Amino acid sequence: MAPAEAQPDDILDSSLVDLNTFNQILEMDEPDDHEFSTSIVFGFFEQAQETFDSMDAALKEKDLETLSSLGHFLKGSSATIGLTKVRDGCEHIQRYGKLENIDGSPEPDEDLCLERLTEAISTVKKDYEEVETVLRKYYEQFD
Amino acid sequence: MSEILDFLPVPTLVVQPLGDSYRIQRASSGLLQAWDRTREDLVDKDLFVALYQASRTARFDRIPLAYAIETAVASRALRLCHAAYISGDDTWTARITPVHKEDDLLCLLLQWEKAELHVAVPDGGMSQSWLPIDDAFRILVHAVKDYAIFLLDTRGNVVTWNTGAELNKGYKKEEIIGKHFSVFYSEEDLQRGKPDRALERCLREGRVEDEGWRYRKDGSRFWANVVITAIYRNDIHVGFGKVTRNLNERKENELRLVAAYEESSRLKNDFLANISHEIRTPMHGMLSACSLLLDTELSEEQRETANLIDESGRVLLQVINDILDYSKLAAGRFSVQSDVVDIAGIITSVTRSVRTTLQPGVSMHLDLAPGLPKAMGDPIRYRQIAENIIGNAGKFTEKGSITVQVSVPAEDETTHTLLTKVIDTGHGVPEDAAAKLFEPFTQLDTTYQKRRQGTGLGLSISKSLCELLGGDIGYEHNPEGQGSIFWFSVKLDKVKSPATATTDPTHGVDEPSRSPSKSQSGDAAVQLNLLRGIARTKRILAVEDNIINQKVLVGMLHGFGFEDITVAGDGSQAVSILASEGHVFDLIFMDISMPVMNGYEATVWIRSSGSSVPIIAMTAYALKGDREFCLEKGVDDYIAKPVNRQLLMQKLLKWLCRSDSPAHVNGESTEEPAIDCQAIPQELVEA
Repeated sequence: MAPAEAQPDDILDSSLVDLNTFNQILEMDEPDDHEFSTSIVFGFFEQAQETFDSMDAALKEKDLETLSSLGHFLKGSSATIGLTKVRDGCEHIQRYGKLENIDGSPEPDEDLCLERLTEAISTVKKDYEEVETVLRKYYEQFD
Repeated sequence: MSEILDFLPVPTLVVQPLGDSYRIQRASSGLLQAWDRTREDLVDKDLFVALYQASRTARFDRIPLAYAIETAVASRALRLCHAAYISGDDTWTARITPVHKEDDLLCLLLQWEKAELHVAVPDGGMSQSWLPIDDAFRILVHAVKDYAIFLLDTRGNVVTWNTGAELNKGYKKEEIIGKHFSVFYSEEDLQRGKPDRALERCLREGRVEDEGWRYRKDGSRFWANVVITAIYRNDIHVGFGKVTRNLNERKENELRLVAAYEESSRLKNDFLANISHEIRTPMHGMLSACSLLLDTELSEEQRETANLIDESGRVLLQVINDILDYSKLAAGRFSVQSDVVDIAGIITSVTRSVRTTLQPGVSMHLDLAPGLPKAMGDPIRYRQIAENIIGNAGKFTEKGSITVQVSVPAEDETTHTLLTKVIDTGHGVPEDAAAKLFEPFTQLDTTYQKRRQGTGLGLSISKSLCELLGGDIGYEHNPEGQGSIFWFSVKLDKVKSPATATTDPTHGVDEPSRSPSKSQSGDAAVQLNLLRGIARTKRILAVEDNIINQKVLVGMLHGFGFEDITVAGDGSQAVSILASEGHVFDLIFMDISMPVMNGYEATVWIRSSGSSVPIIAMTAYALKGDREFCLEKGVDDYIAKPVNRQLLMQKLLKWLCRSDSPAHVNGESTEEPAIDCQAIPQELVEA
């Protein structure tokens, strides 16, 4: 018999990951493997890296519209997995890119939005790295 | 002096002005004798009463004399009034001499002499007439059949009668000669003094023309054009000429034309409505196909061409939608829904989408009054007006700013009046064009702006929509300089019960990651069994652009027992799958924000293709009002991301168990799906 599995609760910080949502994904795994959730989580890692690269490029181009839609895109998948902080960060990017404040009110100052975008992207990357580390650690136990 | 007057051989009256009337001061003996009247009969009496009280047409008889006196006094000169008095067979003409001292009128001297006799003769003319009728003309006039042409004496009595008069009015010559012309008028016209006024005006202006109903001898009426002309001989007014033309036919034609116009306009509107509807469906197909084409590898040139098709197609679709709306409005067939309207949400969403189309350097501000109510009305129509007005401001403002203000200027017990103002710093509207702004098919063309795409129907549609919503629409100049203010108001009913305005507690918007409580997990097992029972026979289309989300959704659906799941990466893929496979799906999950064709557009296409398959929108939008907007676009239900498995199960049960009944917009609770599944065979449930 395999050693008792560490439960996600033991490893994952609920401020980083919404456990209800994440557990929904784990529940879809077959009893003896973690193939499904692994493919989802590691698929997300890839997607996040790609998206960050695109964001960097768009930021260089000062392409706010693209930044907004990239933010929206990653918001969807991070929300699906339950990565609360990343999801929130992506929402900020989505708003700033649309020339809005966090509350959705208009912010016509494009330079200010760019400045905020730069900051938000670096924050979201940091949050992402943090959660990637713990998730990788969580999956390491199954190797 | 007084004696001289009394004994003057010429019949004479001395008349004194008394306010507006004239009083007889003296009457000469010669006059009393000639007229066979007593001094008491006349002296100290009102002139017109004394002269005409015995006549049945006294009110007409006085007109020529009153007018002659008026002009004599005004011109301080002698005037003649022909046939002003009749005694027995004699007709007397008055010679009126006003006597002034300085500027005051002392009195009038009316001296009377016998007028020439006129004798009516059988051919309708007069053998020895004071009226100047040439024989040749008399014959000509008499022969005219289409016009009633006849002469009146100074008082309005008929003197001649032609064939046309006989045919049109139904009186024989011998019946009507000597009768007063007022018999041709209706009782009502007589009471209102219409014929009197006609004669008075005719004397003043020489001619009077009128259109109206005239009556025949048999009492029937006809629509007549009447010209009355005053006739003078040697400057003496001797009578009136009257030409009456029967316009009955014209009047009837007019009425027929009006009816025909109304009918043709109805047919036109029906035609427009039907044809626009018919064009819309293939247009959607074409646009979707074009989106797919744009998704493939294309050469530069091909892409340019495909883009052109796409753009033109979208403009055309907008035109068709406008025409459809316009024709429905014109035909009065536009229905207004009653639903909760979240004004703040709609305006925020509209400005959000217009903002993306603004020209560089134009800013947009939103100024919502605090505490805008949620009220009952037609959210789609309100949105349509707002989109048009705000969209116009965006189109026509090249620099400066656009401000959108919403306020509640009035409310009563049952309604709120909402005023939406859109203030821009664009070109504004020239004064002369402002009046035509809201007329259909109006587009303002000025030299410095090229013609905009569209039908010119937008504002006219908005105006009709505002009126349908109990409000109004208007334009004014921006008082702060260049630009326009467009405003529109709508009346919304207050929400009766507070419960209807609150969001359903089981709804995903408020608690997206809510987990089922313990008491529900028992139900959850039952629900899962139910769902597994029906899942294998159902086909599901999942439209989602993010591969992670696709995988998770498919994983969950597999977990529920669904085997036939088709995934589309965006709206246009979904549309092409539906177009090629037909409507084989039992349910569609629709992501909203997707590239190429978003979920709204795809939903609109699906609905316009006639399918009522349940569509459940999935979106990470957290804004209030988005749910309403989803439902407005033809989506049946809504689930927030991240998708909660329990909630997903409930939605699936709710919509799949009902899939035989037509899908319907339903924002109700999703808590009783089991009831709807009673009809499912037990062996399936337990499988």
